[in-house]
Amino acid sequence: MVKAMRDDSHVLSGAYALDALSEPERDSFERHLQHCPLCTDEVRGLRETAARLGLAKTLDPPPQLRSRVLAAAYRTRQLPPVGDRIGLDRRRTRARKPFAVRPGHAQHGRQGRLLGRPLVPRLAGALAAAAVVVVATLGISQSLTRHQPGGAPAASAAISRVVTAPDARTETERTSAGGTVTVVVSADRQAAVVSAAGMRSLPAAQTYQLWVMGPHGSARSAGLLSGTGRAGPVLASGVEPGDQIGITVEPAGGTSSPTTAPVIAVPV
Amino acid sequence: MESMRRTELRQLRAEPRPAEDTDRKPDLAGLMSRVARGDHRAFELLYGELAGPVYGVVRQVLRDPAQSEEVAQEVLLEIWRTASRFDPAKGSPAAWALTIAHRRAVDRVRSETASSRREEKAALDPGSVDDDVAEVVAATLDRQRVRRCLDGLTELQRESIKLAYYGGYSYPQVAQLLDVALGTVKTRIRDGLIRMRDCLEVEW
Repeated sequence: MVKAMRDDSHVLSGAYALDALSEPERDSFERHLQHCPLCTDEVRGLRETAARLGLAKTLDPPPQLRSRVLAAAYRTRQLPPVGDRIGLDRRRTRARKPFAVRPGHAQHGRQGRLLGRPLVPRLAGALAAAAVVVVATLGISQSLTRHQPGGAPAASAAISRVVTAPDARTETERTSAGGTVTVVVSADRQAAVVSAAGMRSLPAAQTYQLWVMGPHGSARSAGLLSGTGRAGPVLASGVEPGDQIGITVEPAGGTSSPTTAPVIAVPV
Repeated sequence: MESMRRTELRQLRAEPRPAEDTDRKPDLAGLMSRVARGDHRAFELLYGELAGPVYGVVRQVLRDPAQSEEVAQEVLLEIWRTASRFDPAKGSPAAWALTIAHRRAVDRVRSETASSRREEKAALDPGSVDDDVAEVVAATLDRQRVRRCLDGLTELQRESIKLAYYGGYSYPQVAQLLDVALGTVKTRIRDGLIRMRDCLEVEW
């Protein structure tokens, strides 16, 4: 059920960034990366750090190298771009297909798959209550935007602080919308970092929304996650023991309280 | 790199560059996309930016000048050949280039059956790994900052990172050289790098 991420894999990010893994370990870590956007993000930061170590060793190359390299380039055919962008377009096209969930209607089909998981009844109660106790604070979350123009590196720093907190605990779980969600929680920092990969892509009229759900039925929005099903890392702050981190499908733009059953809920 | 990243961001936002940056290097990401389209002039400029760092990293790991030159040439040509595969969302051009360079150098070390030449030169004293090549003046500031941040690490973190990155050793080899448990080395490399990242204020 809950597939906790092996701590072992996560801790290899540093050695991976420094090319200090054996080939089999490198391959297996790269497979792990495909399902762990959070680790991918960490590796990216550590790679940039390694590059700084490298830049500090800049040396004048032998002068003859230049003409040899430039001449070789004239004789060398370049590789075509990979189909990554085409893939993205395809995914978007698929996302346009109508999707059976309307705001306000729980997704019974998907919910069915959640049955049998002990946290579901608790959560359903929490969500029903949430409709009454509206404590939504849309917009206080800091979704990570540093890859966009005008992005805030501050969010990235806050995320790093959670992920690298000494008491940070990582859990990766499958969602009923497919794919996996990884949650890193630090009680010390009272925050969680959430990322998702491979969840079903949503039509333009819908979005995934992240919630911090209290034990007594309150639910506070921690921001919107991309409807592509791949999102984050996103910071959810003000998280306390006993809370659950949940994701629901909501109308585009988000709602002030959850209107559908969560596709996943992870106890903190 | 940090300033390169900033430059890229600034250009995305289409804001004018402040005066402090006017003597700054050409925008690497822009050069990369020109190179990806087969622009040889852009590749010359890119060579000017990346050849020093690439050669420096390769030489640091391999030590042998002739071998380093050969590998650096392969790496730079690889940059030309695979420029279309560079994805700015996954990191800066310099990190991309240096990742290729470091990996090539390390692959060379590990595939070499007769790596004795290198091992003789890089005696197992970790301190000797990084100090005997003449570095160019342009890298002085970077170098000082990296050194200062390295000094802020615990000794085990520092030596693990230096042996792994500058020495090109695998982490089991690092564990053996430092006579500590495998798990310890994995952890020290990661938390040391995280500290370096924060100390260097790396943006990514």
